[in-house]
Amino acid sequence: MTMKYVEEYRDPGLAKGLAQKIHGISTKKLRLMEVCGTHTMSIFRHGIRSVLPSGITLLSGPGCPVCVTAQKDIDAFVEFARLKDVIVTTFGDLIRVPGSGSSLGREKAGGADVRIVYSIFDAVTIAGENRDKEVVFCGVGFETTIPTIAAGILMAKEAGLGNFSVYSANKLTPPALAALMETKGVDIDGFILPGHVSVITGTNAYRDTFEKYNIPSVITGFEPVDILKAVLLLVEQNEEGRPALVNAYSRAVSDEGNPKAKAVMNQVFEVCHAVWRGIGEIPFSGMGLKKEFQAFDAALKFGMDLPDVPEPRGCACGQILMGLKTPEQCSLYKKKCTPMTPVGPCMVSSEGSCAAFYKYA
Amino acid sequence: MTQEKVLLDHGSGGKVSHSMFSDLILPLFSSPELLQQDDGAVLDIAGARLAFSTDSYVVDPVFFPGGNIGDLAVNGTVNDIAMCGAVPKFISVGLILEEGFPVEDLKIILTSMAGAAQKAGVRIVTGDTKVVPRGKADKIFINTSGIGVIPPHVRVSGANAQPGDAVILSGTLADHGITVLSSREGLKFDSDIKTDSAPLNGMAQAILNSGCRVHVLRDPTRGGLGTTLNEIAAQSGVEILIDESCLPIRGPVRGTCELLGFDPLYIANEGKLVAFVPQEDAQKVLEIIQANEYGKEAAVIGRVSQKSTGKVFLKTLIGGTRLVDMLTGEQLPRIC
Repeated sequence: MTMKYVEEYRDPGLAKGLAQKIHGISTKKLRLMEVCGTHTMSIFRHGIRSVLPSGITLLSGPGCPVCVTAQKDIDAFVEFARLKDVIVTTFGDLIRVPGSGSSLGREKAGGADVRIVYSIFDAVTIAGENRDKEVVFCGVGFETTIPTIAAGILMAKEAGLGNFSVYSANKLTPPALAALMETKGVDIDGFILPGHVSVITGTNAYRDTFEKYNIPSVITGFEPVDILKAVLLLVEQNEEGRPALVNAYSRAVSDEGNPKAKAVMNQVFEVCHAVWRGIGEIPFSGMGLKKEFQAFDAALKFGMDLPDVPEPRGCACGQILMGLKTPEQCSLYKKKCTPMTPVGPCMVSSEGSCAAFYKYA
Repeated sequence: MTQEKVLLDHGSGGKVSHSMFSDLILPLFSSPELLQQDDGAVLDIAGARLAFSTDSYVVDPVFFPGGNIGDLAVNGTVNDIAMCGAVPKFISVGLILEEGFPVEDLKIILTSMAGAAQKAGVRIVTGDTKVVPRGKADKIFINTSGIGVIPPHVRVSGANAQPGDAVILSGTLADHGITVLSSREGLKFDSDIKTDSAPLNGMAQAILNSGCRVHVLRDPTRGGLGTTLNEIAAQSGVEILIDESCLPIRGPVRGTCELLGFDPLYIANEGKLVAFVPQEDAQKVLEIIQANEYGKEAAVIGRVSQKSTGKVFLKTLIGGTRLVDMLTGEQLPRIC
């Protein structure tokens, strides 16, 4: 495997040129929010904040799927791990996330059968190899991940795997942006919109939100040149007072998105309400299993409907996700809450805002 | 240590491992040699200075592109002794075997160990074999310990880094960790990545016998270069600045890291060393490393910028600066 078509987006000369242009036109104090964990990571890893004018603040919004997973969903994953003859399959990010009392990692250390998979298809394979056990997959993801989860369920159905099910805590990005804009106190001058998610949804998915709130919005990729280009476009729009929805990632994103992926997603899932950590319930922001696929719904199969529990005292994950606080403004940050002893998921996920601040800032 | 149970993170080589070492192990075993926290203990015995080190190998899978658990176990201990500035002489081998492990595989592994020992110029002089019931161990675990002699003129330690030192890395990053990860069941990539496992005692001796001043030698194994540099920065009380554009990383390794959300700075190497030497000796040491068969891609990757509380910074490709913290626990693959 080789990675091509990347080097030009890391070109130091191009990046420095963009940074200079931003310095040249920037006069206003601006708060720009990225809503994708991979953007958060890239911004920190490439030291992008350090090359921007001091008046430009980059905020990390609700873009890390682990960070927005409600406490009750984490608790559900832990409960599955405690059931006899159940194999819990999960992406690695979730292993350390603390629920109300425990985490998947702790249950694993205590003897539970928790397995990290790289794709839902591995979980389906595990179900095929362990027909005497139930295999539950922790479904946590945005539009990027949901189509593959849907494809996994279709595969399990075709293979007649009655012992496979998914707990869906999947979420959609555009409703979260609208919810943010409706939240009192939220003060954002522009969105850096996610690249991967937009490959699936297409630019059109953001049109309603853009038209309603008239907020500068730029879709972009993950390399430093991509991100600096998006910042430049957002600064230009703000300086000139001309908000626009721009696709600056046209090498991967179309207006319509990926019709095949959307079709698979919509074949298996339907829009439902969802609870976002720290934000609360956002209408029509989740993806639940359709009626004809209910046999694969782990929540129904095991009657797992836990009450929502408040986040730990002092944990400001929700406010941080909405750009109302920075990690340093959380009273637990670097004190009670560290990557070794995370209180909230923003500190545990590698793409979490607090973990990125702790690690790189 | 705050956890009630041992987690996999305790074996990651990062902060969680360090907290177990300093909170649990060190207070109970306290000895001045252990307190040094170098790759091995330096012992004064009857006028001679000896380096003594031990390591256990539990890698899964046992066989991987470019090597197996056997040569890894020999090279690992040889390198730990070499990083103390010593000439490795003798090693011991402890085998813990799972009932049912194929004798043919064991023979391949032992043959590799014999070959690795010969290549490194060390003798395997004592050992032990235990067999445990099926399921009580995973195929084969190997412990190796070794001793070596430190020449009188050599004084290297992780605590010796000085402001102005150049930081030299002997080759590409993350090859071993990504090889093992890629060949682990459930994650099969078609790539030509192979482990970098190799004995570094020849390279280390060439550096130490060159007449150049050498302050620190370390092999960035578990926890990767990022963790090793943090350990050195803390031990020496200095700030280290490395330059991203100088870090040698193979394309397929970089690609796999990006796919999984891993930072190559925290991935294990098994055949690389970092040397801290005064700026004026840097070019000569670099040439010595590059002349070694395992050091062709060596590069100066940074410098010790000043005395400080022990921080590591990275100058990014685009000219930004960011902190390189120590690894916390095991890196976990991300969702998207």
